[in-house]
Parts: sequence; C-alpha cells; structure tokens
Amino acid sequence: MKIAVCIKQVPTREWQPRLNETKTWIREQEASYEMNEPDAYALEEGLRLREKHGGEVVVCSAGPARVQQVIREALARGADRALHVEDEALGAADASTAATALMAPMKEEGFDLILTGLQSDDQGHAQFGPVLAEKLGVPHSTIIMEVQFEPGQAGAIKVKRELEGGWFQYVTMPTPALLTIQSGINQLRYATLKGIMAAKKKEIRKVAPPPGLVPRLKVVALYAPQKSKQTVMIGGPAAQAAQELVRRLREEARAL
Amino acid sequence: MILVIAEQKDGRLNRASWEAVAAAQQLSGGQMPIKVAVLGSGVAGVAGELAQAAVTEVLAVDAVALGIYTPDAFVQAAAALIREQAPQYVLLAHTYQTRDFVPTLATRIDRALVTDVIAIRTAEGQAAFARPMFQGKLVADVVPQGPAPHLVTVQIGAFRADAVQKGQAPIVTVAGSVDAAAIRQRPEAPFQEAKQAVDLSQAERIVAVGRGIKSQENVAVAEQLAQAFGAELAASRPICDNGWLPMERQIGSSGQTVAPKLYVAVGISGAIQHLVGMKGSRTIVAINKDAEAPIFEIADYGIVADLFEVAPALIAELKK
Amino acid sequence: MERETLDVDVLIVGGGPAGLSAALRLAQLQQAKGGDALSIAVVEKAREAGAHQLSGALLDPSALAELIPDFKAKGAPLACEVSRDSVYYLTPRRQLRLPITPPPFRNHGNYIISLSQFAKWLAGQVEAEGIDLFWGFAAQAVLFDGQRVIGVRTGDRGVGKDGQPRGMFEPGADIRARVTIFADGVRGHLTKELMRVLQLGDHSEPAQFAIGLKELWDIPRDRLAPGTVVHTLGYPLRQEEFGGSWLYAMPDGRVSIGFVVGLDYQDPLLDPYSAFQRFKQHPFIAGLLSGGQVVRYGAKALPEGGWNTQPSLFMDGGLIVGDAANFVNSMRLKGIHLAMRSGMLAAETAFDAVRAGDTSARALSAYKARVDSSAIKTELFPVRDVHQAFSGGLYAGSVFAGLAMMTGGRLPGGVTGHAGHTRLKTLGHYYGMKKRDILTGSNAVTPDRSLTFDKLTSVHYSGTHHEEDQPVHLLVHTEVCHTICGDEYGHPCVRFCPANVYEMVDNGQGGRRLQINASNCVHCKTCDIMDPYGVITWVAPEGGEGPQYDGM
Repeated sequence: MKIAVCIKQVPTREWQPRLNETKTWIREQEASYEMNEPDAYALEEGLRLREKHGGEVVVCSAGPARVQQVIREALARGADRALHVEDEALGAADASTAATALMAPMKEEGFDLILTGLQSDDQGHAQFGPVLAEKLGVPHSTIIMEVQFEPGQAGAIKVKRELEGGWFQYVTMPTPALLTIQSGINQLRYATLKGIMAAKKKEIRKVAPPPGLVPRLKVVALYAPQKSKQTVMIGGPAAQAAQELVRRLREEARAL
Repeated sequence: MILVIAEQKDGRLNRASWEAVAAAQQLSGGQMPIKVAVLGSGVAGVAGELAQAAVTEVLAVDAVALGIYTPDAFVQAAAALIREQAPQYVLLAHTYQTRDFVPTLATRIDRALVTDVIAIRTAEGQAAFARPMFQGKLVADVVPQGPAPHLVTVQIGAFRADAVQKGQAPIVTVAGSVDAAAIRQRPEAPFQEAKQAVDLSQAERIVAVGRGIKSQENVAVAEQLAQAFGAELAASRPICDNGWLPMERQIGSSGQTVAPKLYVAVGISGAIQHLVGMKGSRTIVAINKDAEAPIFEIADYGIVADLFEVAPALIAELKK
Repeated sequence: MERETLDVDVLIVGGGPAGLSAALRLAQLQQAKGGDALSIAVVEKAREAGAHQLSGALLDPSALAELIPDFKAKGAPLACEVSRDSVYYLTPRRQLRLPITPPPFRNHGNYIISLSQFAKWLAGQVEAEGIDLFWGFAAQAVLFDGQRVIGVRTGDRGVGKDGQPRGMFEPGADIRARVTIFADGVRGHLTKELMRVLQLGDHSEPAQFAIGLKELWDIPRDRLAPGTVVHTLGYPLRQEEFGGSWLYAMPDGRVSIGFVVGLDYQDPLLDPYSAFQRFKQHPFIAGLLSGGQVVRYGAKALPEGGWNTQPSLFMDGGLIVGDAANFVNSMRLKGIHLAMRSGMLAAETAFDAVRAGDTSARALSAYKARVDSSAIKTELFPVRDVHQAFSGGLYAGSVFAGLAMMTGGRLPGGVTGHAGHTRLKTLGHYYGMKKRDILTGSNAVTPDRSLTFDKLTSVHYSGTHHEEDQPVHLLVHTEVCHTICGDEYGHPCVRFCPANVYEMVDNGQGGRRLQINASNCVHCKTCDIMDPYGVITWVAPEGGEGPQYDGM
C-alpha cells in the first residue's frame, strides 16, 4: 500500500514575529523552524497504517531548500522516501498554490492513501487537504480520528470523522482517498539514532514546480492584532459592580 | 451580488449562518444584492427562517441526495448553484462542515478562497479580508486573486448575528443539481460519545481561576461562578501545578489555547504564559485585587476588587 | 523495549562551537590523511543547532580562520566588524567614559556575532562532511569500564512525572566510542561526573563562574552605528561584586545587551537578574533602548577561573574541551575562539590515537601537550589569576589585572581562588541584627513591563519549552530547604535562578515549601554552581527541549 503524507515546515511555536520591509510577510532569516505539528500526527498515523498493512510511506512537501529539515525528520521517524517540490517562492505560498505545486508528481506516484494535517500552524488556511483531493481527483474526508480498511472490500476505507459538539460519524469511501488527520489522536514516536542515520540514505526526489504558478491569495498587510477597545473598569461596591458587569455583558458585548 | 450559503442539519439552522449574513451585509455596504441559499432535503422551514432578513432572495436548494451531508454532494450542488447565480462573492461560516467541502468547491470552480476571516477591510480599492496567522500572533489582510466569484468563510463569533438587518425576502425553491451516483462517501448516522477529556477549546464561555483563589477549598467558589455563567471551569498554571484542578483545565503556553465568546479571569494576574492561551477570546473580563495586574491590559471589562466579594455578587446577579 | 546501541570511533558530546569544531577538524584530517574512514558522531541535547547557544558575542576570528580559511566565502554569519570600542564606569546617575580603552577591551579585527546563528552555520559545515549529528539526544551518564571512559548513555525519552513510562517510551541509547570528547559546556553535567569519579580537579584551582544575562533588542535604526561596542563597570554592582555589562550594536537596529555577575557575591539577598534590570534603568542605557522592543531573553553561566582552573584534560578514552574545560579569557571576555581551538586540538589527538590503536590516557595526554604549546596557553596563562584577584574588590582586581598585563603574567602571581558559592555570607553574617524580608531581593526592581520585566515574562522571551509530564530534572536534597536554609541564607535559589524555577510557596500549614517549576529552566547551570550547600544537581531534561535562542 502506498501512503503519502504531506508535511509542512513552519516557524516554531516560540518564534517571535518580525516583519519584513514591506510588512507583507515575516522575516524568515532569524526564524527557527519545525515540522507543522498537525502534520506530525498525520505522519504518525501513516507509519502506524504501514506497520499494520505493509507498503511504504512517502513524505511530500513543497517549499524552499530549508524544508529538507522536516523531510529528514520524517524520514528519521520511519518514512521510506520523500518527494520535495523545491522553490524559494513556495515558502510563503498559500494552501491552494502549494497543492497545485504537488499535484503532478503526486498523481504520477499513484498513492492509495494521502494523509495531511488539519491545517498549518503558520498560515492556517485549512484548505490544503481538500484542495489537493480535488486536484488528484480522489474523495476525501476531514478531521479524522481513526482509519480502518474495510474487511473483505478491497480498496475501501472506513474512517471516523469528528463533528462539532462531541458528535462523531463513520464514513466509508473507496481508495485512493485523502484524509486530514485530527491532532492528538496518537502519541508521536521519537526518531532513533538508527532512524537518523538511515534517513541520510533515503531517497528525496526533487522536482521543480510547474511553470506559471500564481498565488491565489495576496497578503497586502501583516500586523500585530490590536485591541480595538479600551478596558472598561467597573467600580463601586461588589453588588453594584456585579450588576453593571452583567448588564454590559448582556447588552454591550452580547456575551451572555 | 453576494451569495451566502447557510448551514442546516436535520431542519435546524446553524446560528453561525446568521453571522455570515451579517458579514455579507457589511461587505455589500448596501451596494450589492444579497441572496441566501440553504442546501438540504426538505428545507422549507429553514428557508422560512432565513427569509426574515433584509436580503434579496432566499434559495431553498432541495435534493434527496443533499439530505445527508457528504462533501461530494454539496460540492456538486454548490458548484452548480454558483455557476447559475454568478455572484461576486460567496460567504459561509467557518464551521467543521464548511472546512470539509468548501476548499474542494473552490478548486472545482477554480476560484480563490479566503478562510477564517475576522474583519472586512478595503485595500487598493478592493475588499480585503483580515484573518489570523501564526496562531494568532499576527493578522493578515488578504486580497483574493483571479476572477470572481471569490469565496470567503468567516470565523465563528467574528461577526454578530444580531447585527443582521431584518426584513422579508421571497423564497425560491431550486432543485439541487446532484448526480447521486457520483457521490463517493457513504456516511453513517452521527453519534455522540461520552466525553473522555475536557475540551476547553469547544467551550463558548470559560471562567478561569488563578492564584488569587488562595486555597483548594475556595476553588468551589470558582466552580459556582462557572455554573452561574453557564461556563466551563479552567485555571492558570499555578492552580494545576498545585493539583487543585486537573492539568487538562490549564490555559496557557503549557496548557490549552482557547478563544471562547466569554472569558472571565478570576484572581489571575496575567503572566504572559497565560495570556498567550486566551487573548483571542471575544470578550475578556478580569477580576483581581491588584490594579496593576497585567490581565487588565487585555481585558474588555475589569473589576479591581476582592474576588471573594465580587463572585457571590455575580452569582446572585446571574441567577436573576 | 530494547536499548539502542551505537559504536563509533569518536563521539563528541555537545554541539556547540567546541564540539562542532572538533567534528569538522576530524573530517578534515580524514580527508587529508586518507585511510579507513573514522566513524564520528555528535550528540546534542538541543532540538537543533544553536538553540541552546548564548553569548554576547565578540568573536576573535583566529581559530575560525585556521579551521575554515574561506569562512567568508562560505557565508559565516558574522553580523559586522567591531568599529568602535568604549568602556564606561557607571555611577547611579552618570556614566564616565574611560579615556583610554584598556587593551583587553580593544576589539579591532573582531566580529559581533550571534553565537546561535554561528553554531547553526558551523553545524551546516559539519553536516556537509557527512558526519552524524544527533540533535535532541541528551547525554545523561558516562559509560565506564573500570576507570576507562567507553562512551555515554543518553537519557530516556517518554518518562512521566511519576517516573513511569508514558505512551511512546524510548530508553536511552548507549553510544560507545574509542575516544569521547566532552564538549558539554559550562559546568557540563557529564564533565562534572568525570571530575568526581576520576578526581580530575585534584590538581587545579576550584572552578569559578559568573552568570550572564542577555537580551536582544530592536531599537530605532539610526541610533547606534553597527559595530559599536560598549562595556560598562560599576553601577549597579558594588565594590564587593564582580561583573559588568556589554552592549553590541548589530545591523538593522538589532542590539545585544547583557549583564555579567560573578557567582561569588557575598550578599545572600542579591538577585543577579535584578541587577540586570537595574542596569537597564540607568539613564545612559535606558536612553539607548528607549522606543525599542525586547525580542529575546536568555541566561547562561560562564567560566571565569581561567587557566589554573582547567581540570585534568585527558583520561583513558576521553578528552575535555571548550567551556567544560574552563577555557575562557575572563579579561577579554572571550571564549569562543578558545573553545574552537581546543576542539581542533582534541580532534587531532583523537585522530592520531584511534589510528594508532591506542586511546589510553598516556596517548591522549598529547592533547594537553598540544594545548600547552598553543595560543590557548599563550593567551590564558598571563591572566591566570586575574579573576581570583577580584575577590579583593574592584580596585584591587583592576590594579592586579593591569600589572598582569604589563608584565605578561610574570607579576604578580600566586593568588588562589575559592569556589564562588563558598563566599556567600549568611544573613546573620551579612546583615547582622537587621531584620530582612527574605523574600525580597536586596536589589529588587519593580518592572515597568516595557524596559524592565519580571522573571516569568523573561522566561517567555527565552522560548524555553519542556514537556510538563516528565521527572523534575533539578535534583535537590530539600531537607536543607525546609530546615536551615531560610534562616541561614534566605533561600538564595529563588534569587540566583534567572528563570523563576525555584519558588518558596505557602505549604498550607503556615510555612513554606520549595516548589520547582522545572519547565521554566533555561539550562544556565547557575543553581548547580551557586547553591551554598551544594545540594542542587542539574541533570538533562528530555532531549530536544529547553530554550530557543534564535539570534542569541
């Protein structure tokens, strides 16, 4: 079984924002990077499925040269090989553009199952998975907690989808299919010394992006969020303050 | 023309759809007609509800294949609807369901989609959509590229459902265009599971307690306050470190990040490690004895007082 | 679960400038001399290169130029060349510029760098040679065969707070090597173990340390010319305290500012972190930072004792390099070039030893011989007692330092040092009968949250992050904390830790108990050094965690 796991490299959670000259993107030079955490869960699920059903796990990533860091990490954790669509401009690409970049080489591979994280911790569009599914012409489902292969039905999977408010749903669909995996559904494995050493020998196929790739979204300004209101301090004795607060919450803020 | 696609389940309208209508009204600024569509099977009732807004038309898109949600069916029907209606913008609320099918829809019709929008601005003479990036550390104003329609999903709670101008719109029933044979997903009935862990990220209201509560016995006061607010109880790190509340109720950089409609911080000073976990909340109330506490810098409402006096007063007031 | 094992020829513990230089030099020797390929491995507790690296820093490029002659062409991230040097003496309100910059403070030809970025770049050079760099692996214990060092064991991963394995438990790996080069940094916890087991400190003076606190700021761009280097002495430290500050201007309005306090102060209620905040409040400094924004914070101990405090550098199967060997020139405030050079010399020795098939202490003693005939000795020997002389106060120390410089280290001599924590006076001794609130530092500052901050906010800016559900990595014999320490020293750990790890909290019975907020730790080692009873032992938390010193 051929499983693809799409991973993204994002600035670390501890990164302090610093904007570029035009204030339309971040200054990448000093940022430290790591694997997008939701994708790490997708990778773990892919590795577990391979352990159960055999086959290979191929990590796929679109981005500048620096994404090698997370590709190697994925290989060190046990992925078999990698596909890297490399271009400097892809570092700031929106989800749809990234999916377009990966479409052709991934179609060529003929994956049975494609796994992605829910969304990226940097841009957070939550689009990449479903967009890629459409581009590859495969069915998809999102926020998946469990993946099973239907017994006695070759080429089908049954997944458990998370819905709002504590509801869940089982969905069956044929493979090839694409799933976006819920974070926290399993424990992430560590890379071992042997894994790290073996990663150096694993294949990373580099592919150039298709020509004529244009961004779908243009960032015209990037800024720190401002608080729009001033703090309203409510004074007076406790009973009075409580009354005033509840009134304001009901009428002004509509929070109750 | 702006097309809003509302969401319903088993004949019940998802309230977030009103927020999308409010956003549409803001985007239009009175200049563009607004139509509201709802997809499903037997949606006359929901359409009737939606018709009570000041919009041009409500489209009840009805098909048996739309009775149970699948991304394939909804993408088909919505794509056909959009091709037919030719709007400038398509607006939806950013719900789990929207996340499941709208990116696919956008790709099917080859148009740009901006998700999780918190505000509508103008830039370079066009509409720009503000959305959070880098886990809320920054906000980006984004202009969708390429030809219309542009698809937009709005963050839940960013636009106010009660800001929708009321009216009376005509309802048009449209046959949903779905080829049932082309639906690849086979969903079963949804079910609920006993909650295993506290998921504060889903709570609409949270009362969080900090060191000011002073002792484990006093946590009961916070519990009562949370109940009175109809809120989940949460805590800052020191409370969980002491074992007064379980770790899964911790908010902050070493706990959960939340953005509920209402966050009431009781006896919390506002160390930056806590703030990063909750500053995205819509309305923040801070109650603390120390007027200099950093929490007041990000609060919308603040009360400098002894929480042991204010909490009972609030409980009494909320019961009224 | 099976414990992983790995066998290599040379294992380097620590991925800072010393360890990376050793690795690179080994690769170069391999290429130059040919023959059977040496297997080399580097283990480093940080998640990635540079994450735990913190320094001012001014780089003397001499060692770099020898290791990588074409360092500029290879893109070494040297922020800028030092363009102007000045030294100031601060009083509470004023600053007096020293008319002549004393020779050790002259930095012509040196570069202002971010050590973190430099280490990242250096790691890239090492990786390009195909050497295995194992990031996120914390060496936890030395592996011995009798008195011979045969490698290290890395820490277990996935252990819960209660000591039980969590879901994805991985036992630590045993990495065995014919030669292990210990580059585990200032007060390295493995070097500390070696010193204890093999009595490596028997013929050296006691090690001495200082704590360095640092912030990165973004200030208005045109205020300071890149390459401006400022050092200060005096306020807020008193005669009895050793230390001072630095301020280095880099391009694009980026400023590195820091404060050093010798970890041999006498006042038990002193808080080095507060001294740093007070320093920033000085009108001269506040003026330079006004309108700016803090970007990063960090703290780390640094070796101050100099040449005479180096431990025995070699043993059967092992060598010690860099800060772990106390190779820092405290007069010039520089150690990176010494770390690099010592790494290179250790690599040369290890290479010869492995090739010759003899990695005994006798064979590895060639490293000491190399160090003795290298620029390390030429630089460190003349100033060997300078720091120790400062225990006599700022004036005495300065006079001594001046004489040492003028006579090339021939005069004066024979000043012996003491471990710094032994100089801490008890409350009774220092404050006499005066009642003191022991929970407030003697130099406490109320933070204004734009120029000065509280420790917890600073910890946030260090980017430090640890899994909460793991055993506490600060081993404390708390008997002392709950009995005599309060009366004797007033719980100095609360003050000397720059990250709010130690807190005395209400124990619910009218008293106080020690609470250890282990996940705040920035791995500075100050507690391991400065605790007056010597009951705190720092061990490595789970690999891959700790501070994120981007740009530091």
